[in-house]
Amino acid sequence: MQYSQKVLDHFMKPHNVGKIENPDAEATEGSPACGDQVSIQMKVNPETQVIEDIKFQSYGCASNIATGSIITDMAKGKTIIEAKEISWKQAAEELDGLPPVKIHCSVLAVDTLRKAIKDYEVKHNLAEVEKFNKDTIVEELKKVIYPQVGEDIVTLKMVKYAGFEEGVAVIDLEIPKFDKYRENIAEEIREHLEQYKEIKEVKITM
Amino acid sequence: MKKYYFDNCKTTQPAPEVIEAMLPYLKDKFIFPANFVLGGSEAAYELEGFKKIIADSIGAKAEEIHFTASGTLANNIAIKGFLSENAKHGTHIILSVIDYPDLLTNAAFFEKSGFEITYLQTDDQGFIDLEQLKDSLRSDTIMFLTTFVNHTVGSIQPIKKIREILDSADHKIVMHVDAGQAYGKLPIDVNELGIDLMSFSAHKIHGPQGVGALFQRKGVVLGSVIHGINRLDNHQTGAVSMANIAGFAKAVEFTFADFENNVNHLRELSNYLLQKIENTIPYTLLNGPRGAGRAPHNVNISFDFIEGEAIMLMLDIAGISVATSSACASEGLKANYILMAMGRNHEQSHSSMKFTLSRYNTKEEIDYTVEKLAEIVQELRRRSPLYKEEK
Repeated sequence: MQYSQKVLDHFMKPHNVGKIENPDAEATEGSPACGDQVSIQMKVNPETQVIEDIKFQSYGCASNIATGSIITDMAKGKTIIEAKEISWKQAAEELDGLPPVKIHCSVLAVDTLRKAIKDYEVKHNLAEVEKFNKDTIVEELKKVIYPQVGEDIVTLKMVKYAGFEEGVAVIDLEIPKFDKYRENIAEEIREHLEQYKEIKEVKITM
Repeated sequence: MKKYYFDNCKTTQPAPEVIEAMLPYLKDKFIFPANFVLGGSEAAYELEGFKKIIADSIGAKAEEIHFTASGTLANNIAIKGFLSENAKHGTHIILSVIDYPDLLTNAAFFEKSGFEITYLQTDDQGFIDLEQLKDSLRSDTIMFLTTFVNHTVGSIQPIKKIREILDSADHKIVMHVDAGQAYGKLPIDVNELGIDLMSFSAHKIHGPQGVGALFQRKGVVLGSVIHGINRLDNHQTGAVSMANIAGFAKAVEFTFADFENNVNHLRELSNYLLQKIENTIPYTLLNGPRGAGRAPHNVNISFDFIEGEAIMLMLDIAGISVATSSACASEGLKANYILMAMGRNHEQSHSSMKFTLSRYNTKEEIDYTVEKLAEIVQELRRRSPLYKEEK
């Protein structure tokens, strides 16, 4: 498995690294426990809603740093409406592809960007804080990538059941017994769901 | 670009004299050992000589040495061979949570077929819990497995003390030792240490890849694991490479010819590397013991606020090969099981870098490496949201 030259270029000399003083919006996603965390800060023009400056910091591997670099490049100069539409697939394509096992880095970078935009929208009364419901769980599961193929577990139909009752999120997965990524996927699901205060417990069966 | 190789735990560069010793067996001397025919007798004679060289290096007899295609095969032949043959005497085995994957996966295999396994815990330095070992001995315990030098943090398990504890049982408990990282780095006398079965391999001591050895104490009975024609060894049936065995023997010869000097060289280099890192780079944490309890060639150290795969890749681009225990660089994207068992947290595990040295490394190489490492760590910390300058 190899990184593309573009990933290596962005890893060795990333663009937009650092912090912005008095940012208009910011977000941090991921966790050091899972080995990757990205923070994004940005300045948005209140008239045009164009992202005029954007910076990131990354705790993580080469692809994590490279995706932070490319996603901030892509978002810079776009309106927040346009930037929201950037998908992890586009970010990965901009980098001339990522190894399947590293696709989750791209998902994390896009997720952080969207959270930062959401932060801006909420602060400026352009949107409300999202209410948690059952669909939220499925939306979060769509961010969990199966490292073997680099697609999310919902698209791959690996989620047999996802429910929520009295504070307990119940997820039933179909993963082969000896799959080396079983633990990793369960850990990622927990990381995504435990951030919601509504969820007191995550029960995963496989 | 000059290459700086510090991943000798994984494999080592074959020594020129090793390659030289192998060549005749890749050319004219290709005949397998056999009776009555000239070439075959010569091969048989030479094979015995190679066995003796390796046996002498661990205080064993030539007939107690078996050649295998790798250290992993030696582990499989020892564990599967012993347990399948001796299950009638008991079905309880003991090993630790920090053992080499070969041992853990073999134990898991037998657990599925009805054996009971006790997994010993480790302390924060990578030494297994001997009190727990004492408490775990049972009348049906037949085998104890251990990794002499831990492959991740370099802790040296006290084999002699372990033997004494095993001997306190009222029956014989066979001890199998994976000596992959210990062989050639520590003096090993299988009789003095009371080792019954031991695996090791050539490519960790500048020999060729593709050949290992199993020490099987006389009287310890192993069932057949690999069935087939007996060419060179009754355990590892089929064709084992004579060239590899010749290279192995040569590597053993020169490793033990100046054993003390070589070990002192490794110890001096690893102390130098560790000191230099600790004096140059803030917020580091040594994983594993300091001093005599640590193998002479291993330095495993965590760098706060950053992640190991990124460090490894940047070092690689600078021509420096090292290993990391980061989940990002691991097969199943999992935190390192040894560091986690020792009580390290995820960040410390993800940021751990392992430098393993060989006789070919020099102080000058270390100077260059630490200089590059310091730049890389500083740059990655600048990019990290976890790092605060004022700290």
